[in-house]
Amino acid sequence: MSDLRQLAECLRRVTAEVADPGVSLGSGVLWPPGHVVTNAHVVRGSHAGVRLVDGRRLEGRVIARDVATDLALLRVSGSGIPAATIAGPGTAHVGALVVAVGHPLGVRGALTVGIIHAIGPQQIGGRSWIQADVSLARGNSGGPLADASGHVVGLNTMVAGTLALAIPMSDVAQFVRAAGVGLP
Amino acid sequence: MNDLVNLSNGLAAAVRQAGRSVFGVRARPRLPSTGVHWRPGLVVTADHTVRTDDDIVLVGPDGRNVSATIAGRDPTIDIAVLRVDAADVPLAEVGDSSGVQVGHIVLAIGDGPRASWGVVSAMDAEGSSSGGSLFDLDLTLYPGFSGGPLVDVQGRVIGINTSGASRDRHLAIPAAVVNRLLEGLQRRGHIPRPYLGVSTQSVRLPEAMRQQLHLEQVSAVIVVAVQPGSPAAEGGLVIGDVIVSLGGASITDPMELRRVLRPEKVGETIVASVIRGGEARDLRVVVGERPPRS
Repeated sequence: MSDLRQLAECLRRVTAEVADPGVSLGSGVLWPPGHVVTNAHVVRGSHAGVRLVDGRRLEGRVIARDVATDLALLRVSGSGIPAATIAGPGTAHVGALVVAVGHPLGVRGALTVGIIHAIGPQQIGGRSWIQADVSLARGNSGGPLADASGHVVGLNTMVAGTLALAIPMSDVAQFVRAAGVGLP
Repeated sequence: MNDLVNLSNGLAAAVRQAGRSVFGVRARPRLPSTGVHWRPGLVVTADHTVRTDDDIVLVGPDGRNVSATIAGRDPTIDIAVLRVDAADVPLAEVGDSSGVQVGHIVLAIGDGPRASWGVVSAMDAEGSSSGGSLFDLDLTLYPGFSGGPLVDVQGRVIGINTSGASRDRHLAIPAAVVNRLLEGLQRRGHIPRPYLGVSTQSVRLPEAMRQQLHLEQVSAVIVVAVQPGSPAAEGGLVIGDVIVSLGGASITDPMELRRVLRPEKVGETIVASVIRGGEARDLRVVVGERPPRS
């Protein structure tokens, strides 16, 4: 990517709006192909509305949901649904540029830029997060945190103070595999 | 070609390089801070994070604990220097902080390493009297980042970060100011505490007096006490003198007086420009050293 506009456009294509009527509006990553991965706290029911960047509205069926890891997987069907590219393991480094795309406070496709602050637990013995120095808000949950090439490194899940905490894609992949979905 | 990727790789490399010389500093309860291996055996950190004189433990980049002692401290600029045996930890590459400009991209690094980024948002003119403008930073200094390095995009250390002045104000002390302090420390073996021997209060300068004496500043400090036998007394300062400048730097409030009296000035003769009886006069004062606290 040579500029942020290009990077933002590329990520918006693979970022879905996930609406659980009456519960929340969050984000999701179109990955693996034919699926949307998001946070468990974004979808509570068995179905959720999925809106793509081109305006298409699809019905997402929740096929796996785990509150402990805060992950959920939805299946969507339709033609020409894009899919995100995932960063390889071990490619995220402290200091590297990252961008987040999502729908904070209902703002569609908002981009925020920062760097990886740290990788690891917030507290001793806690789970490992990609901690990013980017500002997130409600509605970013489930959206992608991506590197400068547009490859997704984590799933934005919550904020701690001003830090964004994202679930590393290796953990997300494990969850997807456990749900019986093959990875590309 | 691929500008963003190059920038990203550059930032990560800068963190990696600077992180090699970064220590965790355990010198206060609960929250550790950060320090930089600046010169062989000398680690620089933020003075306000050093709350104990002994039992200071540094955690090296490899996670190993080493004990440290205080080599010197300068609370006026919030710098403490710790002595440590750490021959295996590389020295930081200290850059030229005089080239830093408002708008430059910078990284703050904490023990871990952890990092945040932003830009230099302003040069604090107030600090200019202490030998270099402080850097105001538009970045987040996360808990424990005080005392850690501010680095440029090439990983060179250009300052020491501190949120000691206020949790909402993120500043860095320029590397040049730290260098000067360390040179004095290595020459004298300690960081002296400068001493004049006056107590002062701010005073507003009457408009007529400012015009008559061609002064731009609207305030100065008035001497309300002079310690007998002190450098101020020896230099001829008396109660009621209004100090408008010291060593060429204008003095607008008592804090400024402390900022101008840098440790490296101890032993130097400096000119105190005062107003006495409505007339300006220059007095020569030899900056003394406050005896160490017993």
